[in-house]
Amino acid sequence: MQDISLHLLDVIENSVRAGAKQIKVRVIQNGPDNYLRLIIEDDGCGMDSQTLEMAQNPFYTTKEEREKKVGLGIPLFKQNAEASGGAFKIASEPGFGTVMTVDFQLDHIDRMPLGNLKDTLLGAVVGHPEVDFYLNLIYQSGCCKQSFLFDTAAIKEELGDIPLTYPDVIEYIDQSLYEGILNTRMEDV
Amino acid sequence: MKTLADLKKIREKAQEEMKLRGGNVRMKIVVGMGTSGIAMGAREVMKTFLEEISNRSLTDVLVTQTGEKGLSSMEPVVDVIEDGKDKITYGNMSPEKVKKVVVEHIVNGRIVSEYVVATGN
Repeated sequence: MQDISLHLLDVIENSVRAGAKQIKVRVIQNGPDNYLRLIIEDDGCGMDSQTLEMAQNPFYTTKEEREKKVGLGIPLFKQNAEASGGAFKIASEPGFGTVMTVDFQLDHIDRMPLGNLKDTLLGAVVGHPEVDFYLNLIYQSGCCKQSFLFDTAAIKEELGDIPLTYPDVIEYIDQSLYEGILNTRMEDV
Repeated sequence: MKTLADLKKIREKAQEEMKLRGGNVRMKIVVGMGTSGIAMGAREVMKTFLEEISNRSLTDVLVTQTGEKGLSSMEPVVDVIEDGKDKITYGNMSPEKVKKVVVEHIVNGRIVSEYVVATGN
C-alpha cells in the first residue's frame, strides 16, 4: 500500500464483509498536537478477543473458503502507523461492531501520505449502496478548526429509488467530497 | 457548495428519464476490492469506471465493489454481468483498459477478449 487512504479502503472492505450497515470514518488532522488520526467505526458482526488478536497476525485470514493463507491488511496498516511514531488500536465486540483508531505523527519523515481520499471515499460510497457512510473530516490548526460532514443516508433518502451510480449522482458525490477535502486541507497531506 | 436541493433536481431529471426508458439495469460491473486488488490499483480502476459512466451518461449501468475473488495474481479483477449472458471476468486491469472495456463492451456489446481471464460462473 502506497498511502494511508488505500489502507482505509481496505479496512472499509473488511467492515462491509463483516456485514456493516453503517460505517463511520473520521479523519483528523491536528497540527498543534502533530497527529493525523483515522477512526473507523462499523456496526458489523464484530470479533471476540481471540479473533481480534489473530486479526493483527499476518498469517490469519477470514477468507478460508479459498486457498488464501495470509491476511496482510491489518498488520500492514499497524506496521505503517507504528513506523511513523504513531499508534494502532482496535476494539471489537461480537454482535456490535468494531472501532479502529490509527494515529500517525503528522510531521514524521516516514509517514505515508494520506493519498487520494476523494477517490477512495467515492468508490466506497457508490460501490456499496447498501451501506450508509458517515464521513467526518476535521482540520485543526493553531487558530481555527474546519470540519466537513458527509452523510450518505441523507443523500439516499433524497434520491429515493435513483441509484448512486446514476451519472449526475456520481458527479454530485465527487464534487461534494472534493469541496470538503479542500476545505479541511486534506488534499495534499 | 453542493446542497441537498441539487439532489432534488437530479432526482426529478432521473425519474423523468426512467419513465421513458423503463428504469432497468442493463449491466452490472463488479470491481474486486480485496487487499491485493487495492495494492494493484483497483481504486483507480473503480474511479475510471465511475468517470466513464458519468462522462458518457450511462444511466443503465451499475458499478459495485466486492472483496477478494481468488484471482490474486490477476488483480485488479473486474466482472461484467449482463442478464441472460455468461459473466465475463477481466484481469490485470488498468485505467486505460477500463476505458477500452467501456467503449467496446459496455457501450457496444463487444467483449474485449484480450483482457478476459475467465467466463461463466
